Amino acid sequence: MADTAFRKIDIDIYDEDVLLETELYDPDPRDPSQVLSDAKQKQGAVRSSLAKSDIPGALDIALDSAPYGPNVDEAKNLTLQTVVTILNSTKSSDISNVIKALSQDAQDTLMKYIYKGMGMPGWGDVSGSVLLGWHEKLTEIAGTGCIVRAMTDRRSV
Amino acid sequence: MSAPEVYSIAKSPISCHSFNADRSQVAVSLNDNDVQIYDRRGKEWQVTETLSEHDKTITSIDWAPNSNRIVTASQDRNAYVWQQSPDPQTGKMVWKPTLVLLRINRAATFVRWSPNEDKFAVASGARAIAVCSFDSENNWWVARLLKKPIRSTVLSVDWHPNNVLLAAGSADMKARVFSAYIKDVDKRPAASVWGEKLPFNTICGEYSSPAGGWVHAVGFSPSGDVLAFAGHDSSITVVYPSGPAVYCIRINTLPYVTLTWTAEDMIVAAGHDCQPIVFSGSEGGWAAVGSLDDTTTGGAKAGTARSGPVGRLNSAAFNTFRNADSRGHNADTAGDTELLTVHQNTITSVRPYEYSSDGSVARVSTSGVDGKLVVWNVSAVSTGGLAGRLGGMRI
Repeated sequence: MADTAFRKIDIDIYDEDVLLETELYDPDPRDPSQVLSDAKQKQGAVRSSLAKSDIPGALDIALDSAPYGPNVDEAKNLTLQTVVTILNSTKSSDISNVIKALSQDAQDTLMKYIYKGMGMPGWGDVSGSVLLGWHEKLTEIAGTGCIVRAMTDRRSV
Repeated sequence: MSAPEVYSIAKSPISCHSFNADRSQVAVSLNDNDVQIYDRRGKEWQVTETLSEHDKTITSIDWAPNSNRIVTASQDRNAYVWQQSPDPQTGKMVWKPTLVLLRINRAATFVRWSPNEDKFAVASGARAIAVCSFDSENNWWVARLLKKPIRSTVLSVDWHPNNVLLAAGSADMKARVFSAYIKDVDKRPAASVWGEKLPFNTICGEYSSPAGGWVHAVGFSPSGDVLAFAGHDSSITVVYPSGPAVYCIRINTLPYVTLTWTAEDMIVAAGHDCQPIVFSGSEGGWAAVGSLDDTTTGGAKAGTARSGPVGRLNSAAFNTFRNADSRGHNADTAGDTELLTVHQNTITSVRPYEYSSDGSVARVSTSGVDGKLVVWNVSAVSTGGLAGRLGGMRI
């Protein structure tokens, strides 16, 4: 067995011109505290939309300017919680129409949240079977391209 | 509608290809250290020469149509310019390599001759582009490096028709337009939409891919006033710097890795989806219009695929599994793993093949990981495949 320890050496510390994570995407112009208050406000707006059973409207609000980047973990969790609540309260027969009403931006963001949810089984109200149902419908409509964008985008939610 | 000419050249992937001026010969790399030159013999292609000098995989080949020189780039960090000269003993014309000093410490990834064929640009993993010109005093090719502000591997380059500007797509998710003006070679370029004063390494434009994908391919329009690039986030972006207008088309299939303009209002892009897709538009907007690959004429096979999954998943193999899963069908088409497209794997390169009298590209050639070389008629756009795919979106 060859020695593989050299593979664990952090060679970036010897590089003066190292590419930093922050250079890979444009940062969110909002302040972290503002991102959090936006997320809380959106949660309220989503609740009132859900009370009127306006699922597309609720999803639109939740997916608009989603928090990304460092230092906004609380807002990220809050938004995931909001999105999951909407996904769970949608009848499976309505899913396709709801997705079709979304913009391409919102579809891409929704795909990110579906993958995030799948990566946190048992967290909050996350339900694997609901997410899989949405994932199937979303892929049918927005294609594999939507999955590729969820994977490439460094602005992870 | 004319069918594409399909040539199965090899069992191994074709990583790049380049035809000579009269298209009687093609230089390809079969994903190894050698360049193979094929001669057209009727309907077949036969290897007539092998250019061996690189000691790592060749990444890119470009054959200059007027000066009949070949430039090759490789992972061994070198580029060679190949020129035909008579062999002193036999008098037969043979290809002689000249090493180019690139001064890069990572793989060379892409190479293209400038329109006047007096310069070429080599993209590399060293966060740099080497712009090479010939120094006749010393009888060698010298390189000048474009470095700033590239942050990662450069994956593709394309020359502006004015022989000075160079577009580059890179793995730092940006497409850029540089000036590659070299004093001794170039005349002062006329002012264009990209700027007026253009000393070497001027940045004339910098554009991000929409969802943070590597920029795999860049291309100037025939006039040079418009830039298009394809990213790994399954998108194509068209930039009008004078507008300024930026059109981004997100596609619903796997990403494109290569593109070429065929006219001022038309782009052909291809990649992991295995078929060349045609985009059309103007300063008012851009959209996909169809595929050059007519996937609907596959007869019964296509019928089963119509309502099915999207893009590359639209294959007989996928449908077999799906039927077995959802309907309990036992696979009677077992072993039928063919895709419904002509190319059976990722398309690595799409290039102009033949020009029509008005200067637009009449036919394009593609090479793929499946070892096929295909020549497509650009006017033969099939909207069926796309409509079929869009049809799948209707529920």
